[in-house]
Amino acid sequence: MSETSEQYKDIPALAGDRRPWVVTAIAALFGLAAIAAVVGGLLLDVRPAVLPVGGTIGPLETALAGLVIAGLCLLVAWGLWRRRNWARTGVLLLLGLGTLYYWLTILFSVSAQIFGGEQVSPWGEIGAAVGMGLLRAIAVGLVPGAIIYALVRYEPAFEDNPGQRTFIDHAVRYLLLATALSAILIVFLIIAFTVSESWEAIREVGVDTMLLGTVWRPGSIIGTEDAQFGLVPMIVGSILSTFGAVVLGVPLSVSAAILLAEVAPPLVRETVRPAIELLAGIPSVVYGLFGMVVLAPLIRKIQVPYNSGFGLLNASIVLAVMIIPTITNIAEDAIRAVPRSYKEGSLALGTTHWQTIRDVILPAGRSGIVAAIILGIGRALGETMALIMVIGNSIAIPKPLTDNPLTLFLSSARTLTGNIAVEINYAAGAHRSALFFTGVLLFIMIMLVNTLARGFMRRRTPA
Amino acid sequence: MERAKSRISSSNLLRRKVGQGIAFGLFWLAAAVAVAALLFIIGYVVVQGSQVINLAFLTTRPAGGVSGEGGMSTTIVTTIYLVVLVIAIATPLGVLAAVYMVEYASEAERESALARWLIRIARSGVEILAGVPSIIFGLFGFALFVSFMKLKFSLLSAGLSGACLVLPVIIRTSEEALKAVPRSYREGSLALGATKWQTVVQVVLPTAAPGIVTGIVLSVGRVIAETAIFWVTLGGSYRLPTGLLSSGRTMALHVYMLASETRAFDKAMGTAAILIVTIIVINLLINITSRQLAQRVMGKQ
Repeated sequence: MSETSEQYKDIPALAGDRRPWVVTAIAALFGLAAIAAVVGGLLLDVRPAVLPVGGTIGPLETALAGLVIAGLCLLVAWGLWRRRNWARTGVLLLLGLGTLYYWLTILFSVSAQIFGGEQVSPWGEIGAAVGMGLLRAIAVGLVPGAIIYALVRYEPAFEDNPGQRTFIDHAVRYLLLATALSAILIVFLIIAFTVSESWEAIREVGVDTMLLGTVWRPGSIIGTEDAQFGLVPMIVGSILSTFGAVVLGVPLSVSAAILLAEVAPPLVRETVRPAIELLAGIPSVVYGLFGMVVLAPLIRKIQVPYNSGFGLLNASIVLAVMIIPTITNIAEDAIRAVPRSYKEGSLALGTTHWQTIRDVILPAGRSGIVAAIILGIGRALGETMALIMVIGNSIAIPKPLTDNPLTLFLSSARTLTGNIAVEINYAAGAHRSALFFTGVLLFIMIMLVNTLARGFMRRRTPA
Repeated sequence: MERAKSRISSSNLLRRKVGQGIAFGLFWLAAAVAVAALLFIIGYVVVQGSQVINLAFLTTRPAGGVSGEGGMSTTIVTTIYLVVLVIAIATPLGVLAAVYMVEYASEAERESALARWLIRIARSGVEILAGVPSIIFGLFGFALFVSFMKLKFSLLSAGLSGACLVLPVIIRTSEEALKAVPRSYREGSLALGATKWQTVVQVVLPTAAPGIVTGIVLSVGRVIAETAIFWVTLGGSYRLPTGLLSSGRTMALHVYMLASETRAFDKAMGTAAILIVTIIVINLLINITSRQLAQRVMGKQ
């Protein structure tokens, strides 16, 4: 065995039982580092400083730290010398993460130089900054990079026994279960923290006062004792704006869904469907900006007193445009999921395409379409920033501006989501707690909506 | 029977066809209105915004103040930092969780009732998390990271909150990608003597990589487009963040703050235009990677 190993000692893959000289060199390097750590710990003159977690650093602590680091380095050196896998993985991780961290700090400082200024940096400066950054990156990465390269190349030289593999297998199993539970852990944390933060409001103000009170006047703004935390104006605002969005958006999106699924030629479908998926990802602030800059002046043209252009109508239009992609996508999938045999049977009986759609396909796909609409409602209820920009944010319950009840939609309002976002940054005490209660309320409402939608999705006709 | 026959008889075929024409005409109109409205909004913002965009706008920092002077450079950099941070936190967690769900869960479910219950609540956890609106994530991040852990308004708070937001997306897409890997791959690897973990790391994950990357790119798009959650955890500083604990402002936040606190609507349009273009580019990336994935799967078949 040793003769063949002699022959192939320079080929990493066949190194087998031999220890490559490179690995010995790296082990020796760590040994040297151990010595350096001990010496440095003893000799380094660190001014006594206070740690953020309490306690001070003095000469004793540095010496101790040096000894600990030396011990670790010796351990790693021994592990490498004996070609243990844990040593190799440990060194790779340590050096890799350390180099990445340094490269990140270099990136931070270079971008600060290029982008942080008040005037445009001349190209020469930009080039100099980038060049210096690259040089530093290479300098920092040279030695660790060489070590990493050597360890990766000489991987077969490190032992690989079955006992070690099964240990890793079992350890991994439990670690992965923990990550799988992370989502439910986050849900639990969300519920725990929002409820605990809202407890002060529940205790002092009372759930009934908040849910049924019609005046929202947080004392912290006025500075008086009589703060009132009634959420009814916001609940009405949320419901009305969602209602408006549904009235405007659902006919348009369901029509588009039917069109795309049944009527439109393939070419139209190929272009429009990806376009709608793209539009679903546009940031909501863009729509809010449009509502502020274009829709508000337009709406102001309606001659009604106190019409500012910002209000429920503006919000309904903006929301409707935002939920169209959501509803269209899901409804179209639902319509496509109706079995072809239904459609073919109906057509075979002599009905027109429209009769088939109206009397056969739509009833069959009804639960999927309803699920799509409910999901759109959920999206509308959860929308925050775009609505803040266009809805006016008044604290009063929306009322029609004139005798015409339709002018209700011209009045200003505020939604539950907007309430949270507008006031959270400066709220304190019971006010802040009441805002968290708003969040809990919102959470419950949207959970109910989503569960309803899921129930409808499950009742779909099986394909 | 007579009524049924009259619905489909040839005598009223003309009437039925006219009815169909009207109905379909209305549908085309409605769909055209919907698509036109969306395209008009996007087009308007891009056209108006591109008038403001030049090199100075992109590389100088916002100067603050009511008139909204300056550019948007720090917002671009902050957005990039935030995206990288969120992906760095959420991807390992999400992909490993998906690996457990697809590879290890069925075995564990067979073994013990406790495992069955744990896995069931793990799955419903992902579903619930996917439906939570982003302002609630913001509120949660504000309560846990900004206040309780005293991280204050910082990249770290925003990054952790954002990771919670995109976790369901990454878990779902990774699960899909992992399920699409043919069983024969796993069986072949195990037959060669590899352990389950070795199989996962060296065979299954590389094969599922394009699908997982699609999920990551989707999350990137989500982070760039989100506003409410970062409004409450990142703060609104227009300076360049110097570390993980400094505050900052993303592009979407910049649009909101310019529009609501200054009169600089043109700069807001400009920032919004850059945002839209970024989302379009990311969407193209998603299409390309998912097409690659589909080709691969079909090639194997």
